[in-house]
Amino acid sequence: MTTFIVRRLLGAIPLVLGIATIIFFVVNLAPGDPADRFSSPSMSPEAREQIRVNLGLDQPIHIRYVRWLGALAQGDLGVSFSRNRPVTDIIQELLPNTLLLSFTAIGVAFVLGILLGILQAVRQYSLLDSIASIVGLFFYSMPSFWLALMMVLLFSLFASVWGWPIYFPASDIQSIDYAFLSPFEKVRDRLWHLTLPATSLALVLAAGIARYTRASMLEEIRQDFVRTARAKGLSERVVIFKHTLRNALIPVITLVGLYLPFLFSGTVFIETVFAWPGMGKLVVDAILQRDYPIIMGGSLVFAMMVVVGNLVADVLYAVVDPRIRYD
Amino acid sequence: MRRVGWVRTILVLAVVGPSACGDGGGTGSWSLDPRVVQAGAGVPFCEEVTARVSEFMSGFEGQAPPSEQHGGVVVVGLPGELPGGMNAHVAAPNQSLQVQIFLNLMTLVRYDSDLIATSYLAESWGVSDDGRELTFYLRDDVYWHDGELTDAYDVAYTFERATDPETAFPNDVWWTFVETGPGAVEVIDSFTVRFHMTPHADFIDPWTMMAIMPQHLLEDVPAAELRAHPYGSVCPVGNGPFIFAEHRQDASWTFQANPAFPEGLGGRPYVDRLVVRNITEQTTLLTELLTGNIDVYVAPTPDQAEAIRDSDRLELVHFPNRQYVFVGWNSRRPQLADKRVRMAITKATNRDEIVAALLGGYGVVSNGTIPSRHWAYDASLGADQTAFDPEAARLLLDQAGWIDRDGDGVRENAGGLPLSFTIKYPPGNQLWQNVAEIMQAQLSTIGIEATPTAVEGGTLIQQVLFSRPREFDGWIYGWTIDLRLDDTALFHSAWTERPNGWSGTQRPDIDRYLERLPLTLDEYVAKPMWGEYQELLVDEQPFTFLFQPERLVGVNLRIQDVVMDIRGEWVNVQDWWIPSSERRRGRR
Repeated sequence: MTTFIVRRLLGAIPLVLGIATIIFFVVNLAPGDPADRFSSPSMSPEAREQIRVNLGLDQPIHIRYVRWLGALAQGDLGVSFSRNRPVTDIIQELLPNTLLLSFTAIGVAFVLGILLGILQAVRQYSLLDSIASIVGLFFYSMPSFWLALMMVLLFSLFASVWGWPIYFPASDIQSIDYAFLSPFEKVRDRLWHLTLPATSLALVLAAGIARYTRASMLEEIRQDFVRTARAKGLSERVVIFKHTLRNALIPVITLVGLYLPFLFSGTVFIETVFAWPGMGKLVVDAILQRDYPIIMGGSLVFAMMVVVGNLVADVLYAVVDPRIRYD
Repeated sequence: MRRVGWVRTILVLAVVGPSACGDGGGTGSWSLDPRVVQAGAGVPFCEEVTARVSEFMSGFEGQAPPSEQHGGVVVVGLPGELPGGMNAHVAAPNQSLQVQIFLNLMTLVRYDSDLIATSYLAESWGVSDDGRELTFYLRDDVYWHDGELTDAYDVAYTFERATDPETAFPNDVWWTFVETGPGAVEVIDSFTVRFHMTPHADFIDPWTMMAIMPQHLLEDVPAAELRAHPYGSVCPVGNGPFIFAEHRQDASWTFQANPAFPEGLGGRPYVDRLVVRNITEQTTLLTELLTGNIDVYVAPTPDQAEAIRDSDRLELVHFPNRQYVFVGWNSRRPQLADKRVRMAITKATNRDEIVAALLGGYGVVSNGTIPSRHWAYDASLGADQTAFDPEAARLLLDQAGWIDRDGDGVRENAGGLPLSFTIKYPPGNQLWQNVAEIMQAQLSTIGIEATPTAVEGGTLIQQVLFSRPREFDGWIYGWTIDLRLDDTALFHSAWTERPNGWSGTQRPDIDRYLERLPLTLDEYVAKPMWGEYQELLVDEQPFTFLFQPERLVGVNLRIQDVVMDIRGEWVNVQDWWIPSSERRRGRR
């Protein structure tokens, strides 16, 4: 297994570099110039030219590429054009926020989706199954930014204006008095801020996961070994959770790998709506502002996370399915 | 089992940052709270300066609040980061500049509400009889937040860096008439500094915007490396009324009241802390304002104004801005080369209706580049010539030889070229898109086919300013301008090949005014000249000037004595205060 993981990780290096190279040339060849963001009659053409020199944009693209690769080898992603800080520092600050949000969302989505899927499969064609299907489809077809805005409207604005017992903040990862809170209050404050964004992301995912789980469960439930399990007098709980679910989860686990990239693109909208200081919002901002170092650094991070996500899915297969061995 | 592990992961991830405990106390005596000040741990420069700031400020520790009015936290929501941070030498939007000059740093002089320059860091100033020497006499009681005195060397350093070509100072046009280079600025003594210049109008204006930077911290930093220096966004040390406390990237900037701010300039600000939060989505900003999580929402959209007005806890502050929005025409295009065509377009566009419908009335129709509060502004100039009149517009097009010859509803010239062009605008700006669509509809009624085209912002700038030939017919744009007016880059015939000369205006009479106006010192002489210049602009119509929008700000009524005007939304931030019963409860 270890050999497999190491081999996969090594194999990922050229892949990630290839992705980064393509992105480097695409963003650098796209029209528009980072020096033009503050173009105004107060800036002379000479100052603009000097800004380009200071940003290293006066060099031909192949020189810039070689320099970028050289710096990357030393772990240096350059200095952001728009935030004027080392990109590694910025990523260090923002990546944990995105990870917290995405993994909470994916965790909630899988727990919720799988439970719902099991319930639907066990009670196939019941009223509950139909309602869950309709509600699931409703969330599945909903654009996440719209859902996010509705969440803000309902659980933040209306909840506050009409004095509902539940209220959640609409923005940021912490309150402004966070520094003054006790450790316990800090955790509570973080979770409180996490609720709306994570739910917005999770609901859409959970709906899809529930569909997959339901289908997969239905297939397994009709298998001979399930009948055998029942025949030997096992309780229904053991039959479903131990015998059926374990087999039914195999296709669902594939979704972990598949959903990761989707999740990162989902965070772009969610982070924007909830003013969540994270990577998604950062990279989109950077694209609009032609902040090449951040675009490159951000895409590298995303590419690596997708590779790792797929690897995790492959490893999980082996955990769930004893037939799979990576030797 | 797995679920327990997952919960634990969240808990661990959630408790990042310092784990100091305690409730932060009430709004008692002043202290620079170490839990708030977290500037640049791990960066040697920052650790050093932060330690010095803490040491200097500890001298004020435990000092009783000067009055009952002192205390509380104000939270301001802005729709974006503050790029460049507190580094005044770096390219940054107006939003950053405002925070620099009103919160963390100081300018030599500032405007009063009548836009007359008054003392700030400079106690007084004088101009020599020949108008060639400008001498500033600085206050001797302004300290950098690390305890160093602010002196003439800081001013000289700031100017030298700003005029060093390697710095790439974004507003270098400010110094067009000021002598630059080695020895150009004279430090007479520690608190007296002298500049040499060609006598010119509004020479004081740049000094109301150029924040003075600390020489003792930055003089060893090479000009080209200033941009990336941690001073800007990680650990700025200013001398203004608010001390930098913390910057959470893309989330917030926190400032703390400066107890050492000179009494003569108002002393320590009333509020303890001021948090500037970055919230991109405007719906979220409005929600946070309505729910009381932020106290000030800078620049809500006109359609959000009603919700703010309707709330009994909020006030909608609106004031004229120095911004104008226009459609710039490319007169090199055969369809747009004739000034009668451009005038017809302006006359066929109902700008009053645009201001009423799209801006909710928060703005004025403009006919030139002069901001509505400027001494040279005259609202009546050009108003009649450009008034909405489709019939007159049709007549102008007929006279110019553009007639619908084939009955397809679009006019052609004698050569058969249809009067058809695109109006480009950057996507994401709903207001500008709406303007383009309204113009399309209104121009079609007089036989002009104008097609709104969204072009991504960076690409659009490239096409209009830098492509040769320039790739546009008309484009919608807007910007905030300085009060020292100078349209040379826009309309002088010698500048048509330079980036901002996109209109291609070639008028010797306009050139003459552009050359003389900046050098005409006497406002009584200059004002009629500005009027004549504006008449020429109206006649030439290089742009269809649309409107000067007002700046809107939503303010929670618990914040007292808020003044906002053309100078900006932070202009009296030192005087904002919150009655103790209205402060956020429990904590500072």
